[in-house]
Amino acid sequence: MAILKCNHCLLEFPETEAVYEDFSGEKKVFCCNGCCGIYKLVHSEGLDDFYKKRKWDDAGIASFKKEIDIRPFAEHVRDVAVSNQKEIDIYIDGIRCASCVWLNEKILSRTEGIEYARLNYATHRARIRWNPEVIGIDKILKRISSIGYNPRPYSESEQFKRQKAEARDLLIRFGTAGFLSSQLMIYSVALYAGYFQGIDINLKLLFEVIALILTIPVIFYSGMPFIKNTIKGLKHLNFTMDSLITIGAGSAFIYSVYQIFVGGKVYFDTSAMIITLIILGRYIESIAKGRASETIERLSELSPKEARLVSNQQSVASGDSPRRAISSQEIKIVPISSIKKGELIQVVPGERIPLDGIVVSGESEIDESIITGESRPVFKTAGHEVIGGSVNLYGALTFEVTRTGKETVLSGIIQAVEEAQTRRPQIQRLADRIVGYFVPAILIIAMATVIGYFINGSPSHSALMAGISVLVIACPCSLGLATPLAVMMFTTMASSKGILIRGGEVIENTSKLTNILFDKTGTITVGKPTLKEIIVLDPGQDREYVLSVAASIESLSEHSIGHAVTAASEGKFFPVSEFRAIPGKGVEGTVDSKKIIIGSRSLMQESSISDMPLEETALHFEKSGDTVIYMAWDRRARALFVISDVIKNEALETVNMIKKLGIDVSVVSGDNKITTDTISEMIGVKNAISNASPLMKKEIINNVQKDGHKVLMVGDGINDAPALTEASVGLAISRGTDIAIAVESSDVVLVRNNLRLIPHFIIMSKRTFSIIKQNIFGAFFYNIVAIPAAVLGFLHPIIAAGAMALSSLFVVGNSLRIRKFN
Amino acid sequence: MWTIYFLILLSILLGLGAWLLFVWTVRKGQYEDMEGPKYRMLDDDDE
Repeated sequence: MAILKCNHCLLEFPETEAVYEDFSGEKKVFCCNGCCGIYKLVHSEGLDDFYKKRKWDDAGIASFKKEIDIRPFAEHVRDVAVSNQKEIDIYIDGIRCASCVWLNEKILSRTEGIEYARLNYATHRARIRWNPEVIGIDKILKRISSIGYNPRPYSESEQFKRQKAEARDLLIRFGTAGFLSSQLMIYSVALYAGYFQGIDINLKLLFEVIALILTIPVIFYSGMPFIKNTIKGLKHLNFTMDSLITIGAGSAFIYSVYQIFVGGKVYFDTSAMIITLIILGRYIESIAKGRASETIERLSELSPKEARLVSNQQSVASGDSPRRAISSQEIKIVPISSIKKGELIQVVPGERIPLDGIVVSGESEIDESIITGESRPVFKTAGHEVIGGSVNLYGALTFEVTRTGKETVLSGIIQAVEEAQTRRPQIQRLADRIVGYFVPAILIIAMATVIGYFINGSPSHSALMAGISVLVIACPCSLGLATPLAVMMFTTMASSKGILIRGGEVIENTSKLTNILFDKTGTITVGKPTLKEIIVLDPGQDREYVLSVAASIESLSEHSIGHAVTAASEGKFFPVSEFRAIPGKGVEGTVDSKKIIIGSRSLMQESSISDMPLEETALHFEKSGDTVIYMAWDRRARALFVISDVIKNEALETVNMIKKLGIDVSVVSGDNKITTDTISEMIGVKNAISNASPLMKKEIINNVQKDGHKVLMVGDGINDAPALTEASVGLAISRGTDIAIAVESSDVVLVRNNLRLIPHFIIMSKRTFSIIKQNIFGAFFYNIVAIPAAVLGFLHPIIAAGAMALSSLFVVGNSLRIRKFN
Repeated sequence: MWTIYFLILLSILLGLGAWLLFVWTVRKGQYEDMEGPKYRMLDDDDE
């Protein structure tokens, strides 16, 4: 069978499913009508360039949302003050490259009524302005989804707004300091030249005064945050990077002002440069942080905030056929916060269960893996309990709410996360720790210098100035760049690979890792049932044929096990007649005029199938946590299907790579012992902990860390969230549609579901951390070497400038090496 | 000598102009999309 490639989404698919369409003489092929529709639209707008321009060739499935709920968007619509227009900011999901941005902008700006449409290439945020008399928001959103992208409401959180304002403030402070420092350099260089070849005394004074005027705003405007922090820290005798900066820049400034009067040499350039470079460092840090947190914020906006409330419960409760009763009821969509205990909520397939409750009617399978770690979907029908946050897979359910607000299982977990967050120690960065020792040491050397000069009979003002000169030279300008530059290089490289990092502390913690804990379901395993093995019992049957027949029947079923069988076949389907699903047991249907039954052992016994395989065969698989289903026709069992949550391809390799790094690997899971042990054994992990509740996972990590170990927790579900927060480094694997609490509570997020990124991340962190250490050494080295010159009174502006330039070049050059780490 | 005074004044005025321009660009949010302009300039706009 020929495999074709879709001209729109680049997905490969069998020829039988192809959709063909002629475009001005050219025959194009698509995987589905949706893709064809998008191509048609793009073509009719004359935007075919999109297909030439796009830079990716891996397949991506376009999203086809039939209906867009405009209510969450409506509240974000603003009136534009001047004209009669409206404006909104939204996120557009599914953008993968610059051409996608281009296509969206073109399609939107060609739509009648849209006055302005601009997308941010980096953040995929769109600002759209339109004339409400010509077009409505619903039409605009439909337009975006008609080309296969998914618009989503966007609102900035308070924290994010603050972060953005802070970055902008830093940028203005840096720009101002940079502009003044560059002006200052003109006069400093003239003064340097004057030291060697002589300079007219009046001109020297003029240059010095101009330098003074240029330096004042650098210190007292750009450097104000540092001065404020120093004063705050001074009360507790707490020496941070800020105090070092203030001491260094301040002493250089005071020393220089004094020197103007006595006709000596000035150090205004040193003073201004220290501040400029430090602010640059802070700015770099804030963008590195801002980028990752913007994406993380977007990932965490996915939680359900609304539910379908079934009104008029009376008739539901009393009706003898509850299903019919509900369907005639009015269903209102309301915010979750307004729902009270005892009310009825309906959940349709694919939706998340909003609150805890007891099922009243309907039956379905529910994926609770994200809450409990249990890998198999759980069958639920009237009387069963459901947990908020789990996903309803196949049928519509109506349940009565038993817990709301803070009482729900989900809230309990969130509380544990918050509690762990507040207890989490603030990690002091390496540079800050060193500064904590360095500042007192320098102050002591300076004092000793003053005392030494006094003893030798120097006048008090020159003794004082000698002491201050020690402070001038000791302040390492490039220290402020040492960490941020390396962190910036690292985060940029990591995010291009799909690893998002929050802050530089993560690098230090990761490089010192001793233990790594993996969650099982969804982390080591795929997280959904997959066909593992087929055992053909009837020697006369071909394996391929058996699978195709089973897949044909199961393709009509909505059951998760059916999906596993269908997904495993290669797409050759037979026509099926008389299909029937037997709830909770299996399916039957007629293929090739054979009446085929597929289902559980009890279904086989009910259908009096002879020739059943020995129970031991099935038991062997069931023991290791797999599900076994049978296939039979003509009263004989023909095949056995083993279905389980399979291990990700790369899991074993990943574990081995991590072990090679000398890190201890363990698995903790909320799943049962048999399954957890079997899976752990298969990936070569000896230490496996099963039946762990979310709080237990957190305790386990707490215990390991008590002995001074650094733990990396890898998880993906809500049940991992407390553990992710508790661990030195929490690493979440984003599964896209999940409730994002796991993402919110972690330091590192893998956007791509590939475990190999983890050892890669650890190695990169180790290397980056050693670069940071070298940077800090380089930053201090030249200044420390120059201290004796200051003590002996040989301090010269050229020495200060030289130390500054050399250490900065070292730090920048060394940080750039991170780019070569691939 | 007056040439030096003139040039000093000129350089400071030019610098001040550049600084004002810079503050204006920050306020206009021109640093918020660092990726876009490089693509937009290559895009032949037919409208």
